This record gives sequence, C-alpha cells and structure tokens, in this order.
Amino acid sequence: MPDVKIFSFALRNVLRNRHRSLVTVLAMAFAGIIMIVFAALMDGFLDATERHAVIMNTGDVQIHAPGYMNDPDLYTYVDNTYELLSLLEKNGFYASPRLYGFALAAAGKSSAGVKLRGISINRENTVTEISRHVMLGAWLESGDTRGVVIGKKLARTLGVKVGDEIVIVGQASDGSMANDLYRVKGILKTVGDEIDQAGFFMLDTAFRELMVFPKGVHEIAIMRSNRDTDLELAKQRIEEIAGDYEIKDWQDLQPVIARILDLADAQKVIMILITYVAVATVILNAVLMSVFERIHEFGVMKALGVGPWFLVRLIFTELFIMIFAASIVALACGWFIAYRLELNGIDLSSIATGASFGGVAIDPVWPAKVTPGALFLPVLFLILIGFLAAVYPAVKAAVIQPVRAIYYR
Amino acid sequence: MTGAIVTMENVTKLYEQGKIEVRAVDNLTLTIQKGDFAALCGPSGSGKTTVLNLMGGLDLPTEGTIHIEQQNLSELSRSQISNMRRDRIGFVFQSYNLIPVMTAYENAEFVLKLQGVPEKQCHERVMNILAEVGLQGLEHRRPDELSGGQQQRVAIARAIVTRPAIVLADEPTANVDSVTADALLDLMQELNRVERTTFLFSTHDQRVMDRARRLIRLRDGRLEQDEVRA
Ligand SMILES: Nc1ncnc2c1ncn2[C@@H]1O[C@H](COP(=O)(O)OP(=O)(O)OP(=O)(O)O)[C@@H](O)[C@H]1O
Ligand SMILES: [Mg+2]
Repeated sequence: MPDVKIFSFALRNVLRNRHRSLVTVLAMAFAGIIMIVFAALMDGFLDATERHAVIMNTGDVQIHAPGYMNDPDLYTYVDNTYELLSLLEKNGFYASPRLYGFALAAAGKSSAGVKLRGISINRENTVTEISRHVMLGAWLESGDTRGVVIGKKLARTLGVKVGDEIVIVGQASDGSMANDLYRVKGILKTVGDEIDQAGFFMLDTAFRELMVFPKGVHEIAIMRSNRDTDLELAKQRIEEIAGDYEIKDWQDLQPVIARILDLADAQKVIMILITYVAVATVILNAVLMSVFERIHEFGVMKALGVGPWFLVRLIFTELFIMIFAASIVALACGWFIAYRLELNGIDLSSIATGASFGGVAIDPVWPAKVTPGALFLPVLFLILIGFLAAVYPAVKAAVIQPVRAIYYR
Repeated sequence: MTGAIVTMENVTKLYEQGKIEVRAVDNLTLTIQKGDFAALCGPSGSGKTTVLNLMGGLDLPTEGTIHIEQQNLSELSRSQISNMRRDRIGFVFQSYNLIPVMTAYENAEFVLKLQGVPEKQCHERVMNILAEVGLQGLEHRRPDELSGGQQQRVAIARAIVTRPAIVLADEPTANVDSVTADALLDLMQELNRVERTTFLFSTHDQRVMDRARRLIRLRDGRLEQDEVRA
C-alpha cells in the first residue's frame, strides 16, 4: 500500500479524539519527566560518590612498591620518587607523594591506633580536595611541623579539640622509638571510614623526622589533569612510566564503589520499567479504545481491500505520533527541572549531615547531573514500552473480519 | 457484450446462533451478468446481505462455489481475495461508509491510492467522478459536513472510481429520504447506462425495486423469483 499517506492519516486520527490523545500524551510525558529527573538525580548522586571517592583520597591512580598493598610495611617503598614525579608531571598528570606509618596516639587518658599520613601539601592540593574538607580549625601549613589534622571520629575517641596536644608513640625505621608531641590544627569533616577513624595528617618533613625515614615514599596518588579523558588510557600511560611498581586505578582501590556504580545502570533501567508499567496500561487502554470504536471503520477499509499490515502500521504510526509528542514534552520539562537541580541540588543538610555511602562521605546537597543517558534512556524506554502496549490492539485490528466489523454495533 | 461477472453455484451459508443453525443462504444458484442493474429483495432475514457479502468475498460459503470473473474464490488466499475486492469490486454499505477523518476527495481517492495509481491520474479520475455524482465544489468537505445523501454519493463515487466489475450495494438508500433515494438511483442508473457499470443492490423499498431492470427475490435464503424486465 505504497501511496496512502499513512502519517497524515494517522495524525488526523490522533487529533480526532483530542481529549483522549492529550490525556495519553500527558500521562506518557509525565512519566517521562519523572524518570528523566530521577535518572539525573541518580547520575548526580553516582557522580558525586565517584568524585568523593576519588577526590577526597584515592585519586585516579596510585603507585605503590610491589607488595605494599597486601602488607603495608614501612620498608616497602617507592624509591626514585623525584624522577617519577617529574615524569608524571611531564605527561600531564598531577601527582602527590604520600608517606604512611602506624602508631599509637594518646591524649589525656584516651588512646587510639592511628595511621600517620605524611603529605606534601602543595602537591596533595593538586590531587585531592581534602584540604578544603576541614570541619574545625585549619589545614596543615608548611613550616608548622607540630601541627596535625585528624579525622572526625578519631578526635572524638581521643577527646581532643583544635589546639589540644596529642602524643604519638611508634617504632621508627631504624628500630628506635618514635615519640613526639603534636598539636591538633584541624579536624576533618566526614571523608570516609578509614580517615574518619584513624586519619592523622602531618607534613612529610615531620613524618620523616619522627619515623627516621629519609627517602622514598609509600604511595604516589595521581590525578588526570583532565578528568574527561579515558581512565584506562591514563593507567596504561602510567604503567609505561612506572612499570616496576604496582599500579592501581580507583576502581581497583574502591571495589565497592566501583561495583555500585556499575550496577547503577541496571537499577535505573529497573526503576524505569516499573514506573512505565503504569504508563503501559494507560497506553494500552487508550489504544484499545481507539481500536474498538473504529471497528466498523476498519471493517469498511478492509472491505475496500486494505490489508492487515496497513492497519498495524496505521495504529503504530498513531501511537508513534503520541509518543513523539510526549517525548518532546518530557525532554523539555525533564531537562529543565534536572538542569535546575544540577545548578542547585536538593539540600538535605537538615535531615542528613555527615552521611556516608560505601565508606565514602556524601554531600548534604544532592545535585542532579544532566547526562545524555539520563535524558534519553527514559525516552527510549517510553518508545519501547509504548510499542509493546500497542501490539495487542494492533493485532486485534489486523485480524478483524470485515463482515463482522461492518455489522458490528 | 454480456457475460457472467459473478456466479454462485449451489451455495449454502450456515450461521450458528447459539445452538440453532441458521441457513442464511440455502442452496442458491445465481449469476450476475455484465451490465445488470439488479435488485435483491425479500423480507428481513431472507439472506440479502449474506448473498452480497459472499459475492464480494467478505464471507466464505459453507458449501458451493463462487466465481468472480472466472476466478474460484475458494482457490484464492486471503490476501488475493483482499486484492480482488480492491481491484474488481465496489462496495456501498447502508451507512457510515466513509472514513471520517478524510475529505470527500480523499475518500474517493482512497482505493486508487491503495492500487498505487499515480497522483496525476488519481486526481483527474477523482475530480471527474465527483463531478459525475454531483459533488463538484464539495471535494474538501469531511463526511460530517455532508448530508446523508451526499455521503452516499461519495460512497458510490468511491465504489466506481476504480471501474470495478461490479458494485455491490447493501440497502444504499435505506438511510436517506425518498427524494435523495430517487437521486441516488438516477445516479446509479446513469452510471449503469453510460459506463456499463454492473450494479447489484439489496432493498426493501418498492420504488427502488420498480426501477431495477432485474429483480431477484429471496425467501429463507432461497431464490423465489428472478425476473428480467425490458
Ligand atoms: N453473523 C451472523 N451470525 C449469525 N446469524 C447471522 C449472521 N448474519 C446473518 N445471520 C442470520 O442469517 C439470516 C440472513 O441474514 P441477512 O442479514 O442476510 O438477511 P437480510 O435479508 O439482509 O435481512 P435484512 O433485510 O434485515 O437486512 C438471518 O436469519 C440472520 O439472523
Ligand atoms: Mg441486510
């Protein structure tokens, strides 16, 4: 049936029962908007979680001496640090060397095991945002070798405030007793379980002095200068630079978060499907009604020699027109709302502060993120579900027997 | 030139109505000749509509054979029958014949488009036919902007625009007033005379029967009388 203009015919049929078409389109559009906003919020949440995981501590990629990850020993360290750092920087990476040791911290009558973290503040600032995450007091300052910044829970365990003193006792690399007195310069906001409970940040110079550890570092945390580039490629490049060492990206280092992010797409699809079941019934109902009230008309058309495919195409085209209209509305409104939420996230600070998720702190302000997936996945599924819902009515119309249809009352 | 357009041989059509079997058509043998202007008449339930549906391939007989232009319907597939209807048969039903969202012009054009007739040729033929049935100037009205008689004229135009072998009309005048009915009959008679289009219509209306050149009377699905007048 090449020559009947199905599209214009279908459009007129859609406009024929304006109210029903409008209600159907609005129902589809409404579900589409909800799903776009939901998907954008979900993407925003995941993006924030990923950024937190990476930006607060991990960085994109880390370099360790072989074996350090399994057994974090003071003597297992990266040797040619400065050569590596300059090579990494030449290749467009930010890199921060870190020193780690374990010790006992005591304040008044309380004590706790801590993980000493010796950092180079200028370099650390290029890789992570931890310096901006101070809750009370201030971040480390070069020259102030007595000043330390500690995790929130550790501060509570030790019962210390900003300005209080903490005694550190441990074993230095030469076997002597490492023992010194520090002053709390700052207390961090929630970052993640490890840092909250045992994080003890100090200047690298102070660490080297305390632990008698003159050279080498335990970890180099690396950040891509442009986070939109491919992580896998960056990792390969770093492997070329520092092949002798263990290279891990943040997904290896934070497998729980990585897994949650992996599963998020499946979750999104499931949510969309569940919501759309309701829409599917609306669509099914509308299309069925439109078929049943035209039984006589379809019968006449069949008597004139119209084949079953013609009617199937007609009904699908009619539905397509409605889905198309609904998609435009959903995209426009959904994008608008999601974009507003991207600019100003939902502020949850009154109900949730210092929450954490998979060991990673989350912001009290929940931002949306308008990604292509958040916009088009809901629309794609709308089209899919819509067409599924139309199969039954379309088949019904296709198999109508003209005699029965024409005398159908 | 004469010749058989449709032949029915010993055709029986049974319908199940609950547990009762109804013989809508009972062992009927009937031939419609080219150029016929024939009326099927008989009391309600005598099988007129059923005969028309069987002849148009809208329904299949329980027994017997039907030939349309020498083609045995029972040997054709569904889609072949559908194409046969499209190309060789014109239908006019009692009411609601037209596609409501299409204009008079588009309704008349519909089957031509299905046949894939080129646009230019379509236009010419549709405009001619609409003029012939007296609808000049109303081409762009939709069915709900036309009177019942005008709607039936569009239906007749649509039935004849493809130059079918036969036009089957089931009580085409039942839903219009007598003046309009007369006009519709004038029209069909004229088409029959000028274009030699074969018409078979069913009717209850005595005046319609009076104008038929052949009167086929049915009773209980059987042929009671088949009279050809001068
Ligand atoms: N689809 C059907 N199912 C069951 N019985 C049917 C069906 N169609 C027709 N019949 C029966 O077949 C018989 C003939 O019906 P048909 O419609 O052909 O009569 P008709 O002469 O056209 O009558 P009318 O003048 O009332 O239109 C009737 O008894 C009718 O009840
Ligand atoms: Mg009848």
